[in-house]
Amino acid sequence: MTYQIEIEGVDKHYGAYHALRDVDVRIPTGQFVALVGPSGCGKSTLLRTIAGLETISEGRIRIAGRDVSSVPPRERDIAMVFQSYALYPHMTVAGNLMYSLRLKGMSRAQARARAEEIAAITGLSDLMHRYPRELSGGQRQRVAMGRAIVRSPAAFLFDEPLSNLDAALRVHMRSEIRKLHNRIGATSVYVTHDQIEAMTMADHVVVMRAGRIEQQGAPLELYDRPVNRFVAGFIGSPAMNFVEGLVTEDGRHVRLALPGEPALAFTGRRPPGEVVVVGLRPEHLTPVGGDQAGGNRLELPVALVERTGSASYVVSDTEPSILIAATERLAGLRDGMFAVAIDPACVHLFHSDTGLALDRMG
Amino acid sequence: MTSSRSSFRDGRGFDRLLVGLTLGFLLVFSAFPLVYNLIMSFQEVDLFTLGSFDRPWVGLENYADVTGHRVFGLIATNTAIFVAVSVAAQLVIGFALALFFQQSFPGATWLRGLFLAGWIMPGLVVGAVWSFILSGDFGVLNWGLMTLGITDGRVFWLSSPDTALYAVIIANVWLGVPFNMILLSVGLSAIPEDVYEAAELDGAGRVRRFLTITLPLMRAQIGAVLSLGIIFTLQQFDLFAALTQGGPANGSNVLQYWSWELSFTDYRIGQGSAVSVLMILLVVLVAVVYVRSTRHEHVA
Repeated sequence: MTYQIEIEGVDKHYGAYHALRDVDVRIPTGQFVALVGPSGCGKSTLLRTIAGLETISEGRIRIAGRDVSSVPPRERDIAMVFQSYALYPHMTVAGNLMYSLRLKGMSRAQARARAEEIAAITGLSDLMHRYPRELSGGQRQRVAMGRAIVRSPAAFLFDEPLSNLDAALRVHMRSEIRKLHNRIGATSVYVTHDQIEAMTMADHVVVMRAGRIEQQGAPLELYDRPVNRFVAGFIGSPAMNFVEGLVTEDGRHVRLALPGEPALAFTGRRPPGEVVVVGLRPEHLTPVGGDQAGGNRLELPVALVERTGSASYVVSDTEPSILIAATERLAGLRDGMFAVAIDPACVHLFHSDTGLALDRMG
Repeated sequence: MTSSRSSFRDGRGFDRLLVGLTLGFLLVFSAFPLVYNLIMSFQEVDLFTLGSFDRPWVGLENYADVTGHRVFGLIATNTAIFVAVSVAAQLVIGFALALFFQQSFPGATWLRGLFLAGWIMPGLVVGAVWSFILSGDFGVLNWGLMTLGITDGRVFWLSSPDTALYAVIIANVWLGVPFNMILLSVGLSAIPEDVYEAAELDGAGRVRRFLTITLPLMRAQIGAVLSLGIIFTLQQFDLFAALTQGGPANGSNVLQYWSWELSFTDYRIGQGSAVSVLMILLVVLVAVVYVRSTRHEHVA
């Protein structure tokens, strides 16, 4: 497998602040990679170090096999879509698209032809003579995309490009960008704080926190096998429930710190008496009939029921409260007790201090 | 009485009061002198007729006298040089300083603030200071140039016809640079950093970024600084009064100083008025060009 972008042991300090800590990411050619994490986690800094807009304190960055660690941005052959779009306000759409081509020494006629071609792909053909201030948010976003594509760079970098759009347009542009990627096939790095964007768009997701990579892998791998409590809570929507628990004498069940101390079976085994944090995804808690006998049953008092039509959310009247996401309408459910079942394979266990996912022995 | 007081209290009279005050001020202190000056430029005004409004009308005679005067060519040329060199130097130095202080380094804001000191000083004081610096006998400029071995003997900056005008220009540039710098700094900081970053990624080096991003986006500010600079420079009077009094032999005389000389030392007030009317026309022309150039300005 050939790698288009290789980041090896990169550290970044701003004075005393340690922005990136020993970051390693290898991005195969043509992949769409999402850097995701809460604000201040270093994802944008990492993107800017790839672009060369930030210098790195330690480590190495290679683009298309070439070490670019100390190469200025304009020689890295990288295109970036900024959060604010950063369009050239004094140039028309055509001018924005042609700028980099003209700098490369392309003739005006050639540059215009290439710009027209890209405008057709991005749906800007009718807007070529307009100035950025005359465009809507979505159109500006397209110009920013077009300006990146027109250069056919070694890689695309996206810095939260959809965060300035309204919700409906965001969902639309999400699939547009992904379709464009499938069509062009260029290596892309996409920064977002929205895990849904990361999960739906990317081939490979890198979850970051406090300058460190917490976990990276395919989207569903992160969902199914989070390595720690942070990733488990960050990936998936609605977020995973966490409850304290105690492993029972047989080492195969965990007793939850909820009223009635219900016990849940999990796959594998842990040392008896161990205090753990149990993670339960809301969508893995499936409603079961009142008197139906289930292997892994949990009965909870109901505090609140929210119905969106396609899904129903039940919030339990416990401390901590447990959220249940069901695809049924749960008509008639108002208060009283509510029974759910969960597959033992879906019961996640984390270390109560370090938050690391716990290995299950056979 | 009661009705006017109640209308004042409910705010209906207050707007009229504010507009009235402003209008009155403008009429008394701007419009009246302007019109009065215009009228005088068509009359024969001297010490004998100064006291009465009923003065002999002379048509365009004052204008003909002034433009036909043997020093008019010299003074008009001086004015053009004074304005062109001052404004160009103020713009270039002011822009360079604005770019310099745009870099973030410790104390940048403080230093930039210090530069404003020159701007808040009265022109006469600035003139007095520069007359010390430029003095032929004990001036610090001569001392510096001679110590560094750049000149062999003393240069009499203020009393030599070759240098007098440029001596005033140097002082005027010093006086005008802070204003240029501040106005251009404001414009520079309004250009978003990520536009520069985008240009950098698009392959533009420093010089290209300056030429294709900074300059076009600074068009409005540069236009403002140029036209205001021309107007301020045409108004510059104090420095001439303090440094050269237009001498030697009108070598550093300019229209605005000449107008004052005609009116208040020669008491040929009609001719002095004619010169100032010509200057007003010039200023109006500059203002019109400026307003027209900014009308189509693209606000980002």
